[in-house]
Amino acid sequence: MNGYAGHVGRVLPDPPDPIRLREDQLRLGLWMFLATVTMLFAAFTSAYVVRRSGSDWHHIALPSILWVNTFVLMASSVAVEMANRFGLRRRWPATAFSFGAALAFGIAFLGGQVIAWRQMVAMGVYLPSNPHSSFFYMLTGAHAVHIVAALIVLLWGLAMTREGSRNPRAWAAQMDLCRTFWHYLGGVWIFLFALVSLY
Amino acid sequence: MSEQHGFVRRYVFSTDHKTIGIQYILTGLLMALAGGLLATLIRLQLGWPDHQWLFLSRLLPKGMPSGVMTPEFYLAVVTMHGTIMVFFFISYVLVSGFGNYLVPLQVGARDMAFPFLNMLSYWIAFLAAGVMLASFFVEGGAAAAGWTAYPPLSAVSSAVPGSQMGQTIWILSMALFIASFTMSGLNIVATVFSVRAPGMWMMRLPLTVWSYFIASILGLLAFPPLTAAAVMLLLDRHFGTSFFLPSGMVIGNTHLTNTGGSPLLWQHLFWFLGHPEVYVLILPALGVACDIIPAFTRKPVFGYRMSVWCLMAVGCLSMIVWGHHMFVSGMSPFTGEYFSLVTLTITVPMTIFGVNMLASLWGAKLQLRVPMMFSLGVLALFGSGGFGGLFLGNATADMQLHDTYFVVGHFHMMIGGVTLLATFGAIYFWFPKMFGRMMNETLGKLHFWTTFLPFFTIFFMQHFLGLQGAPRRYYAFTAYDYLQKTRGQNLIISIAAMILVSSQCVFAINFVWSLFKGRVAEANPWGATTLEWTVPSPPPHGNFGNMPVVERWAYEYGVQTVDGDFAVQTVPSQIAPVSA
Repeated sequence: MNGYAGHVGRVLPDPPDPIRLREDQLRLGLWMFLATVTMLFAAFTSAYVVRRSGSDWHHIALPSILWVNTFVLMASSVAVEMANRFGLRRRWPATAFSFGAALAFGIAFLGGQVIAWRQMVAMGVYLPSNPHSSFFYMLTGAHAVHIVAALIVLLWGLAMTREGSRNPRAWAAQMDLCRTFWHYLGGVWIFLFALVSLY
Repeated sequence: MSEQHGFVRRYVFSTDHKTIGIQYILTGLLMALAGGLLATLIRLQLGWPDHQWLFLSRLLPKGMPSGVMTPEFYLAVVTMHGTIMVFFFISYVLVSGFGNYLVPLQVGARDMAFPFLNMLSYWIAFLAAGVMLASFFVEGGAAAAGWTAYPPLSAVSSAVPGSQMGQTIWILSMALFIASFTMSGLNIVATVFSVRAPGMWMMRLPLTVWSYFIASILGLLAFPPLTAAAVMLLLDRHFGTSFFLPSGMVIGNTHLTNTGGSPLLWQHLFWFLGHPEVYVLILPALGVACDIIPAFTRKPVFGYRMSVWCLMAVGCLSMIVWGHHMFVSGMSPFTGEYFSLVTLTITVPMTIFGVNMLASLWGAKLQLRVPMMFSLGVLALFGSGGFGGLFLGNATADMQLHDTYFVVGHFHMMIGGVTLLATFGAIYFWFPKMFGRMMNETLGKLHFWTTFLPFFTIFFMQHFLGLQGAPRRYYAFTAYDYLQKTRGQNLIISIAAMILVSSQCVFAINFVWSLFKGRVAEANPWGATTLEWTVPSPPPHGNFGNMPVVERWAYEYGVQTVDGDFAVQTVPSQIAPVSA
């Protein structure tokens, strides 16, 4: 029953461009990963909404440095966008500088979150103090873990920028991944901040 | 290419999807051995409640000190049996194992979209399995809160011995499992989307690929809520939070300081994963059976397009029915009504799918080879197990049947039996492709009958145990007068279980013997039509010499070509007419 091997005669008319294919796959993979992250935070949010109806729920005052952190993270997103625009105009030194600034703002955000935690501890509000503080520490912690992962991706993006001039198209695709991941986590933070402050 | 690599890169840390698939399958089969032995222990206790098994007291001095199991050990055994079978056997062998092996071959790709991620997912899975098994050896023994890990039992370390370190390890192992399963699912979805061969339109994909595709999407969306729940459970266990622990709990003589948590919150989050998870397991089983059947009926499957749409409908509906596991949790009758309605709605596409499988047999001259017998077994269990679902999906009936052996019988027939028989069917069917040798047919038939008959007996009878009010998870049903009369039934079930477990030796012997001594397989021993049969057995690294160009759907039987009464998917339309 092996005779059909002869039928496999038609030659591939137009083989797909391997770089294009890889870009598509990575973009697809990233969006699917982000879908799982969305489901994770959706689950945390629904748990928050359910737990909030408990009689022992007390809204705690959140440290005001969170506002600063939020602006730092937004500045980081702006810097990533600027890096992208500089790159598209082939201004590589400015691109690397903007990207480095984005990375620095990202690290500053994490530092700011740690300061926020320390301020909470100084006020005597710990993880098990009450449900609101439990959720605050857990949500910010889970978000910070994702930020660390995204910072590694940004670091990779910065390393790639050094070679960007050699293959601008591949660089633009890599940049797309960095931008998507980073802006997405910025969006998640704004949502989480609004949730724990307003609801 | 890794053909030039040494042993370690080829067989241990390989990025080839075929090697990884086989690694998953072998790991899963070893875990099945562990899960099967645990099932044997359960049945020894239920069949012969007071018997002293002295040889077991030497093997398990803590769990069975005088040869009779302790209640705490029984709970741990039940928990680990469920956990291992659901997550570490069926998920590994059928979903990740065959998914890895078959999807790239059947879509006409050289490998998965992300081969390195694939390797990583296997080794994390291996670690998860090792960690889960290790939990038997820590202080207090393995987790004992059921495979569903309901708090407070799972959240309070002092509740039972299994709630100590064993439960923490259970959570960590599950976290590893989820990470690995997510990587694997992401890979399957990306592979189906991005590296199909030219001409392999979505509506030409074999039903196997469709089922893996939809199961993987379900897994990706359903597992993260369990991750979230597991994080909260860990915080409750070790950091004093009260997500799931209510006020006023007293364990032993200690009053817990937790306040206001909700054990039901865990149940919602768990079942938001748990229900899609049963479809993650059962859809590949049905897909695989759908692809085995036409090779032995020599005619196309019935209603291919309708079956695909049914798979999609089931996938969507499975995300919104989780509450039917919680009808007795005190939910509002209106919510219960909603969950009943959507649950009964899901039976519509599932029934259409089953009837399509049945109609695929219509008018055919069945060739009762071993893979076909297992596939018919799938159909039989799917039909009979599915009937139980009609009762359980209905809130009014479920109030009576909840937490009885009716439920145990139902889900073992479905996610136990349908998947088990499909797994065996798949192994017998694709073994020649994987290892280049055929498995022994006579031993295979013996294995089928000594698996199917005891399996059906056990779980069919358990439905009736449930109707008599026998509660599940009870260690000593003999302590209740009204259950005394079920003793004989439990004995028959236990004897059937012993036959079932012993008969797996036949499979093990056949598997190992055929690896070395089986008849050498041709490239296409079953005369099947999908792409994996166009390449040598076992397929070379990179799968295909020239990339295949797909010309037709996967079920072109009943046409005459030089090969016989079928046309593989690459046969051009000039040679045989194209149906789809």
